[in-house]
Amino acid sequence: MVSMQTAMENLKELGFNPVTTAIGATQQLFHWDEAKVNELKGYLIAQNFQHHYENNKFYRMLCEDSGVTPADIQSLDDLHKIPLIPVTSFKRPDSHLLLSTSLENIEFEMRSTGTSGIPSISRRDAETLNNCVFSIYAMYREMFAFSRGAGLFLFPSPEEMPEMGMVKVLNMLSGLFDATRCLVKRASFKPKEAIETLEKWQNIHTRHIIGPPFLIYKLVNYLKTNNIHLKLDNKTMIINLGGWKRFSGMEIPREQYNKECAEYLGIPEENVRDMYGLVESNILAIECEKQSKHVPPWVHFSLRNPKNLAEEVPQGKRGVLAIFDPTSLSYPGFIQTEDLVYLKKENTCECGRNGQKVVYLSRVAGAEIGCCAINLEKHMDAAEEKSQMTEV
Amino acid sequence: MYNSIIVDYFSKPRHSGDVIDANRELKIGNSVCGDTIFMKIKVTDGRVVNAKYKAYGCATSLATADIFADYIIGKSLAEIAQLLAHEIDSMLGELEPPQMHCLNILHDLFEQILSEA
Ligand SMILES: [Zn+2]
Repeated sequence: MVSMQTAMENLKELGFNPVTTAIGATQQLFHWDEAKVNELKGYLIAQNFQHHYENNKFYRMLCEDSGVTPADIQSLDDLHKIPLIPVTSFKRPDSHLLLSTSLENIEFEMRSTGTSGIPSISRRDAETLNNCVFSIYAMYREMFAFSRGAGLFLFPSPEEMPEMGMVKVLNMLSGLFDATRCLVKRASFKPKEAIETLEKWQNIHTRHIIGPPFLIYKLVNYLKTNNIHLKLDNKTMIINLGGWKRFSGMEIPREQYNKECAEYLGIPEENVRDMYGLVESNILAIECEKQSKHVPPWVHFSLRNPKNLAEEVPQGKRGVLAIFDPTSLSYPGFIQTEDLVYLKKENTCECGRNGQKVVYLSRVAGAEIGCCAINLEKHMDAAEEKSQMTEV
Repeated sequence: MYNSIIVDYFSKPRHSGDVIDANRELKIGNSVCGDTIFMKIKVTDGRVVNAKYKAYGCATSLATADIFADYIIGKSLAEIAQLLAHEIDSMLGELEPPQMHCLNILHDLFEQILSEA
């Protein structure tokens, strides 16, 4: 049998792009054995590392400082040597240094804003954006297999916030649905309107609810307070993206959330699905029917000791997440996040898929509590207070 | 997507940084989308002798801060006040619709520097 490297080199010679070829094979890759997937990931990430080493002056300097060259990165076992970009770099005034291409080639700037108000900006060129769109749709199709239905969108419309990462990624689902309705307008959300919309779709479309947990929870709480029990559809999905920690500091307990969604929306508990993503990265890890968050098979997650980020912690132990994403070309997708997570011990899953499964725990101590969802909640709370004051 | 003026100022910022003996400060903040500029300026005898900034946001807004600083340095406030609106508009070159908000940022900077004078 030919080696992975030879197979990939052959593909390249024929004019195929190994990264998009891998993304196109998402379903198959989830069933490959671990050694083969690791060989593929190692190859893609090593190639991508070489690209940034050769095209990014600033990154090359980082590499030279740590004495790493492309010759040192041959396989998955070498990835720990790759210098990481701290996620806070995307907020710095000199973030132009992160680019591995000229601004002339940048097609899209995506942003996320935390509680400090300083935006994190990631800049993608055409090829990176292609990879990003392919990756997200590949994961949506793999985990949800949507091709129809109606989506109740509990997040601001992209018309109101065209560059906000969370909105952009969730709104991509609209391309798979027949009907969508966005119910967050000018930072306000009325649960009554959501119920009316769901009732209007009854017996016509399979209904899905999509948004950050704090907003979906707002709807569930409204149902609970008013003792309303909806009966949505058997295949209804409740899809969550964004922090579980609320701006107010209160955490929404996941188990209680699942139970209450099931009780008041009338759906199977396993249809409550969470996703993990990062505006600065092209990844979306999505929960399967067993509620395990599967990492896209072309991406590698490495966990670091919070006290010494250079040190990897063993699988199963908690650590700060470092992402190796070979789909990013306009800037290095080797990102040291500020998220405390762990990887489940087994790289197998009852759903039948193989590969890394991530469990999100919290932000690391001292990090800005920040994501699109929390910033949105802050603004919505402020808007609500204002409207209550004018009503009085 | 980005015109050559924006590419040039974004890629090679000339005035990013801090002015320790500044006597004027300008601030641009947009609460939701987050384009933010903190500019420090030193004015002596009605003339801008130094201007530096820290900017956070889209590439066009970062370039806007640099273009503004580049323009005002060495000019008297009286000279700056002579500028016509369309001359300010042309400083950023031709912009795409999602970049147009940076014209407001630029006008806002000019208004701020003249308002306290
Ligand atoms: Zn699974």
